Amino acid sequence: MFNDTFDKITWALLAFVIVALAALLAMNHGAGDGKAAGLGKAVEREMAYRARIELIGKLYGPVEDLRKAGKNQEALLKLDELIRSYPGEAHGYILQGEILREMGALDEAVASFEAGVKLNGDYVDARSPLSRRGAIQGLVDEGLRSIGGRAAANPGNRSLAASLAKVNYLKSRLAGGCE
Amino acid sequence: MIRSTFRRFLLLFLPLLLLAGCKGEGSRPVVKIGYMLCNNEQETMSRFLPLTRYLSDKCGVDFVAVPVDTHDFEKRFKAGEFTFTHSNSLIYVILHENEGVQLLASEKRGKFGARSAGALIARKGSGIEKLADIRGKRLAFGPMLAPTGYLAEYDLMLSAGINPEHDLGTYSIPPGSYKHEKLIYGVLYGQYDVAAAPILDLETMTREGKIAADDFVILAQSKPVPYCTFGVAKGADPALVKKVKEALLALKPADTAEVDGERIKVLKAAWIDGYEELLDSDYDSIREMAKRVNMPPYQKY
Repeated sequence: MFNDTFDKITWALLAFVIVALAALLAMNHGAGDGKAAGLGKAVEREMAYRARIELIGKLYGPVEDLRKAGKNQEALLKLDELIRSYPGEAHGYILQGEILREMGALDEAVASFEAGVKLNGDYVDARSPLSRRGAIQGLVDEGLRSIGGRAAANPGNRSLAASLAKVNYLKSRLAGGCE
Repeated sequence: MIRSTFRRFLLLFLPLLLLAGCKGEGSRPVVKIGYMLCNNEQETMSRFLPLTRYLSDKCGVDFVAVPVDTHDFEKRFKAGEFTFTHSNSLIYVILHENEGVQLLASEKRGKFGARSAGALIARKGSGIEKLADIRGKRLAFGPMLAPTGYLAEYDLMLSAGINPEHDLGTYSIPPGSYKHEKLIYGVLYGQYDVAAAPILDLETMTREGKIAADDFVILAQSKPVPYCTFGVAKGADPALVKKVKEALLALKPADTAEVDGERIKVLKAAWIDGYEELLDSDYDSIREMAKRVNMPPYQKY
């Protein structure tokens, strides 16, 4: 088998080719797995997002119905139950902020939007199906005028300063600032 | 000789030094806070004693809680029975206009923070769907000096062209304590057709599972107006006033005070979320309503 130098070289080359092939196979196998895993995760994310939107539609549907019927207070009471059941879900705070604003409670609306955006940045993202960018921009404009004006007239007032800080937080998120 | 004189000197002044060094119970100034009764004296005291102790701890004076009936509040304040006031927003406005009481801090509770609203409610399915339907019906108000249990709803009716004195079948105020709860239950179980319900009570009762969010139709609702308020007599020590204000605004849910040997969470005991610094002009909405409804401090006979 290893009678002469030629045999030895042939076997050595064969062994090298086998090792190289095995290494190549192993590398390709790893890369394929990564791609598949990446693809799988993206699909998973997409599915989770769609599921969330569907769940939001179902959960908060009754609240939206009450709002459409002009029953804002009943909607708020309903929403209170949902916020307690799903404290980590941002959508309740965003809806609550919209209702409070309609009811003339600007400072509380700002606080609710701030809580919602802190929980989930989708609401300031123009491309998100959940985007409330326009509403938040309107709230910021009104907040700067109203709360900003009151804060400027009462520089020592800590409650107004805290409300204005929340308006500015929303403003910074609209401008692309991160959490 | 020197040692002997020193010993005598020490013996003479030691008791005085010891006395001066002691800061015994009752050696601090005593300041009284008048708390408007919510439902009854026992409930009001158990709610606000921890807050009173907290303020004593923070401000270095011995605060004493004085329970005060709503209708006696101005009279007793005028008699000098207490320096700090804790009352509803209408009583604050009365004390501000008549006695010069200054705004200190406003209580936060519920969805509207330091504000709440008054609503006229009917039972769902009763056939009363809009405000005009309440003509000729039986209505229950909350206590007469309640901003969101009487004043706001009376004003809502007047604004809609309904005169409660002539256009309702009857109106009454439930007897005894827990008036707000009684009238909400009264509508739910058919004792009254319509009730003047504070939104805060609807929120609380829904949260506690006593009623459901969709048991009622809200026929009309006022704009949110300031709710419970701390005030202070105009001649009070400014340094103490500042300390009290700081202490109230700094209150956090984890803050505790000792009552009868027990550590109690101050905000939780008082059923409040915290304190806010409103402006006196925020109470103008109360003033405007009181003028329209012909109530104190603007009442004309």
